[in-house]
Amino acid sequence: MPVEWLNPYHLQVGSFLLINVLLGVSIYITLSTGQLSLGNAGFMCIGAYTAALLSTKCGLPIPAGIALGAVLAGSAGVLVGLPSLRLSGVYLAIATLGFGEVIRAVAVNWETLTGGAVGVAAVPQMGRVLLANLADAGFAPGDAGLRPNQFIALSVFLILLAVTALVIAFFLRLDRTRVGRAYAAIRLDEKAAEAMGIPVTYYKVLAFSQGAMVSGLAGALFAHSTSYISPEDFTYHRAVEILVYAVFGGSGHLLGSVFGAAALTLLPEALRFVSDYRHMLYGLLLVLMMIYRPQGVIDPPLLRRLHRARAEEAP
Amino acid sequence: MKALLSLERVGKSFGGLAALADISFSVEAGEILGIIGPNGAGKTTLFNVITAFFPPTEGTVIFDGRPIGGLPPHAIAHRGISRTFQNIRLFSAMSVEENVMVGRHCRSRAGVWRGVLRTRGQRGEEREIRERTRELLELVGLEGADPGREARALPYGHQRRLEIARSLAAEPRLLLLDEPAAGMNEAETREVFELIRRVRLLGVTILLIEHDMSLVMKACDRLVVFNFGRMIAEGPPAAIRKDPRVIEAYLGPEEGSEDA
Repeated sequence: MPVEWLNPYHLQVGSFLLINVLLGVSIYITLSTGQLSLGNAGFMCIGAYTAALLSTKCGLPIPAGIALGAVLAGSAGVLVGLPSLRLSGVYLAIATLGFGEVIRAVAVNWETLTGGAVGVAAVPQMGRVLLANLADAGFAPGDAGLRPNQFIALSVFLILLAVTALVIAFFLRLDRTRVGRAYAAIRLDEKAAEAMGIPVTYYKVLAFSQGAMVSGLAGALFAHSTSYISPEDFTYHRAVEILVYAVFGGSGHLLGSVFGAAALTLLPEALRFVSDYRHMLYGLLLVLMMIYRPQGVIDPPLLRRLHRARAEEAP
Repeated sequence: MKALLSLERVGKSFGGLAALADISFSVEAGEILGIIGPNGAGKTTLFNVITAFFPPTEGTVIFDGRPIGGLPPHAIAHRGISRTFQNIRLFSAMSVEENVMVGRHCRSRAGVWRGVLRTRGQRGEEREIRERTRELLELVGLEGADPGREARALPYGHQRRLEIARSLAAEPRLLLLDEPAAGMNEAETREVFELIRRVRLLGVTILLIEHDMSLVMKACDRLVVFNFGRMIAEGPPAAIRKDPRVIEAYLGPEEGSEDA
C-alpha cells in the first residue's frame, strides 16, 4: 500500500532547499574570513558542468563526478583567491562577480563541450540511477510501499540530507578549532591576527577555496538532482541570492546562513497565496530586515541566549 | 649579557618623509628597555618596523642573532616577538578566553582535518591551549572575569590586560608594549607596572613605550629617547633625566610642554 502523504513535489522543494543550504554554507565560509565573494554561482557552475559532463560524456559513476566537480571548483577557488587577496570589500565582490560571469560566458560559448545556451540534457538523475541499480538487484519500490516517483524523490532528498548534514557538521566543528579561531580573528582584525602569528594569506585562500569547493559540491548535486542544467542556472542573480542567504540569516554564525537559505527557499512557496505580489513581499521583508536587524536573524548573542535558556531548563 | 634584539642604522621613509632615521641600539636579554620621546617622535613606527608591519627602508633588524628583515609579521611572531597596540586591538566580538586562545596560534599545530576529526593529538592540544589560557588570565589578574564574555564588554583597563595576556600566549621572548598604561588612573597604572615586572620574571624581555615619566624611570633598566624620528639619547634612567638634549626635547628650549 503506497504511502499517500509522501508528496514528490514537496520532496523536490526539500531537495532544492538542501542545495541552497549548501550554498549558504559556502558563502558563510568565505565571509568568515571577512571576504565578500559574489563568485559562488560561478564555482557552482564549475561543479555542475564538471559532474554533468563527466557522467554524460565519459560515463563516470555519479559519486566520482560529484567529487571531481567539487575538487575542481575548489582548485579554481585557489586560483581566483590568490590574486583576489589584494582586494577587499566591494572590490573583491566586483572581481568575483566578474569571475562568475566569465565562467557563465564560457559555458554559453564553448558549445562543443557545454552545449552552449541549451545546456546539458539527460544528466543521470541520482534517484533514477539508484532505482535502476536496485531493480537489478531485485528490489521494487512497491516492496517499501512507495510508488516509483515517490521513491526517486525520497532517495534524492535523503542523499542530499546526508551530504548537507555532513558538510554542516564539518564546518561547525571547524569553527571551534584553531583554524576556525584564525578565520574569526582575520575577520575581526586582520592586523592583530597577523601580529599574533596567523598567516593571513594562507587562511584567506584556504577559506576562499573551501567556500568554492562547497559551492561546486552544491552545483554537482544540483546537476544530478534535476537531470538538466543550463548557464541560466548560474547567473549573477544566483550569486546575489546566495549572498542574501547569509545577509538575511546572519553571517556571524554558520547556522545563520543555513537558516537564511532554508527560510528564503520556503518563503516563495509559503507566499504562493498572494501569487503576483510575492516578490514584492520578499523585497519588503529584506528592506525591513536591513532596517531592524542588519546583522541577520541569527547572531552569536541570540545563540548564546538560546543555549543558556536550554541549560536552565535542564535539571 | 647578550643582545636579543639589535637594530643597525634602521630607517623608515614614507615617500620622501623620514619617519625614522639612523636608529641603532640593542636590547639585552632579560631587560626592560623604555622608549620615550614626544608625540610623533617615531616610537610606534619603530614597533611597526620591528614587527614588519612597515618593513624598514634602510638598515637591519637582528633578532636572536639572525636578521629578520623580509619576514612577514606572522613569521616574526613565530620567531618570538609579540606586541600590543597603542589603541587596543582585541578581537572585540570574541570571548575573553578566545582572544587568548588565538594568541596561542603560532605555538599549536592542528590543521583542518585533525580539528574536524578531533584526533587525540588535537584534543590534547586544545586542552593545553585552554589550560595555558587560564594561567595567563590569572597572571594578568583577569581570573575573576567571565571567560565567555565578549572582549568589548570588558572595562577599559581589563581590555589592556587581556591584550597583554593574548600577546603572552604566543610565548614571546621579546614583548613590545605600546603605552600599556595609556588612559588609566594612577592605581591602574601601578597595577600594570606590577604586571610588567611579573612578566619579566617569566624571562620575557620587554620593550616599552610609555608616557608616564615617573613610572618609566622606575620600571626600566635603560631608556632610549626619540625625537623627530632620531635617537637623541640612550642610557640608564638617572643619566637620561639629567641629559640636556632630553630636557630640551621634552620642555623645548624655553617654554614648558605637557608631554613631560
